[in-house]
Amino acid sequence: MKFRLLTLTTLAAAGIATGTAGSAFAADTVKLGYQLPLTGDTAQYGQDFRKAAEIALTEFNAAGKPFKVEIVFEDSRSDAKEGTNIARKFVDDKEIVGVLGDFTSGVSMAAAQVYKDAGMPQLSQTASHPDYTKISKYQFRNIATQAQEGPYNAKWMAAKGFKNVAVIAEQTDWGQSVVGGFSDAVKANGGTVAFSEFFNRGLKDYRSLISKIERAKPDAIYTGFFYEDGAQFLKQLQQLGIKTPVYSTSAAYSPKLIELAGGAAEGVHLTSNFLPTDPSPNVQHFVEEWKKRSDGAVPGQFPAQAYDAVRIMLAAVERAQPSPTREKVRDALAQTRDFPGVTGKTTFSADREAEKDLVKVEVKGGAFVPVAE
Amino acid sequence: MFDPYYLQQLAIGLSLGMTYALMAIGFTLIFGVLNVVNFAHGEIYTLGAFAGLVLISATAPPIVAVILGALAIGALAGFSLERIAFKPFRRFTDEASLKSRAMRESTLLSSLAVSIVVREALEIVFGSQMRSVPFDYLINTPVRVGPVILVTGDFIIFGVAAAMLIGLQYLLTRTRVGLAIRAVSNNPLGAKYVGIDTDRTIITTFVVGSMMGAAAGILMGLYYGAVFPAMGFTPGIKAFVAMVMGGLSSIPGAVICALILGISESMATTFVSSGWSDMVAYGFLILTLIFFPNGLFGARRERV
Repeated sequence: MKFRLLTLTTLAAAGIATGTAGSAFAADTVKLGYQLPLTGDTAQYGQDFRKAAEIALTEFNAAGKPFKVEIVFEDSRSDAKEGTNIARKFVDDKEIVGVLGDFTSGVSMAAAQVYKDAGMPQLSQTASHPDYTKISKYQFRNIATQAQEGPYNAKWMAAKGFKNVAVIAEQTDWGQSVVGGFSDAVKANGGTVAFSEFFNRGLKDYRSLISKIERAKPDAIYTGFFYEDGAQFLKQLQQLGIKTPVYSTSAAYSPKLIELAGGAAEGVHLTSNFLPTDPSPNVQHFVEEWKKRSDGAVPGQFPAQAYDAVRIMLAAVERAQPSPTREKVRDALAQTRDFPGVTGKTTFSADREAEKDLVKVEVKGGAFVPVAE
Repeated sequence: MFDPYYLQQLAIGLSLGMTYALMAIGFTLIFGVLNVVNFAHGEIYTLGAFAGLVLISATAPPIVAVILGALAIGALAGFSLERIAFKPFRRFTDEASLKSRAMRESTLLSSLAVSIVVREALEIVFGSQMRSVPFDYLINTPVRVGPVILVTGDFIIFGVAAAMLIGLQYLLTRTRVGLAIRAVSNNPLGAKYVGIDTDRTIITTFVVGSMMGAAAGILMGLYYGAVFPAMGFTPGIKAFVAMVMGGLSSIPGAVICALILGISESMATTFVSSGWSDMVAYGFLILTLIFFPNGLFGARRERV
């Protein structure tokens, strides 16, 4: 009798124990969403982001924290409609407490409308359109905006004595912010914008556009493009024998630019907030991890931003413990101060902008070299 | 008015038009001449470029061997494409099925499906990054002709496009194979009744057209120095527009319209923002469909 009672108590205790363990496990896994283009024309970026996110997530889950994090990746194909659908899906999943992405400003802003209504914190690694963070208090970004980069570059070019400049950019929300941010600053510094035009992303032949730019006889050309378009532009500039200096934004900062353009990339000036050659241990750690997963290739700036964005989000989730909610994660994100990332220290300002330090870089001898002026 | 600027723009337009024509020739052969709805030609083009790139990185052969390799892959791809996406729809040989437009047009979706599978497979295998072509192989050394700068590739593409055009015109108008192709296109049932092996004719056309598509792909890869899974899309659209403008079944018509398209785009860049230059192609497509439903060269279109 006594024995049986003991068994029953043990069983009951075990039952309670398993019960609690079960619910404890559920509470110990936090879900995040990541919307990014995994197929389509911009898939190369999304796939890099996923790789960077997986590095960050593996490290986080291996660090022996009291809880685990799971990231749900959804393919938006850089399509605003698709991005909005994913946003609805993420919002409907009650377990998801925070979202990363999207890649382009356009899609991020479309999805942001859904996140705004649902009160879901959204952190984009790349959306740099000035209006993105103005949508609501739930939008954050981990990239310098063109409102910051444009004036910085305008000052740099003015210091080099380029008074009369041409500016071209891709025909997107982001491209327009490149032209806007830069042109206003040039005019404010007393320079003139001799030529300003947009082209379609993925245009292969820039020769017509280049001939048109040259007709305006600018001292220098400022460009808002990504590395694919940039490489074609630079190669065709060289083909046409044009020597006008080219300046660009951090969006073109990728080792692929040099790989694709070869000698034509020599002398291009641009800004960046990530240098894979930076000797600091966290940068070198990330570069090593990246190389392991990418056949020895060096990461560009975008994967680095994604890596940092994911870690910033993870840190916010950790601060929102125990039992994080969307609101708590948002508040934790907003409190991010001096987060030590591979793209420098990140602090979110009151309007949820990441304040980044920019570095001046020039392509010399087939590599990005930091320059003082 | 005779600013060298306009001459340069004209030359750029011609060279751009040539690149469209290169793609349009094989496309028109299958889609227009054989009269088979095929939306996978862009992926054949991409496959040709990747085949060339793989060959270059594996063995660094001379450029002629690269092109031959791409042609072989193109032929294989054309054959497989026909087998997977087109042949199953011909398994009903009764008269109703052979005359059915729905049966014929269902290949729109099956070829589109194949194209999506191929593109995504390439993305999985090679990644969606742009891959660079070793610089020794590039055909874009600048060449100065008077006040105009062109590159070596412009001349090569011109030569290849001209050879393709002349060769195909000869094939279609002077040989029995060409006669069979035109017969099958005009009336598949009738062709069958007079003893033409329709299956073989269709396969031959696919193989020849896809070889041209693959050759176009590798040449454009060497010309622009970048190979990536989505590269076939834009040229496919431009080739489609050139074909429709040219009156569907006319290969010379498609080539001339490709040149018109190229020149209009580069000239349009002078007057409107470059961002609008794609409007030119779509604008032409709409104008052609409204005002010349038979295409610009449709009136002279030869129908056996």
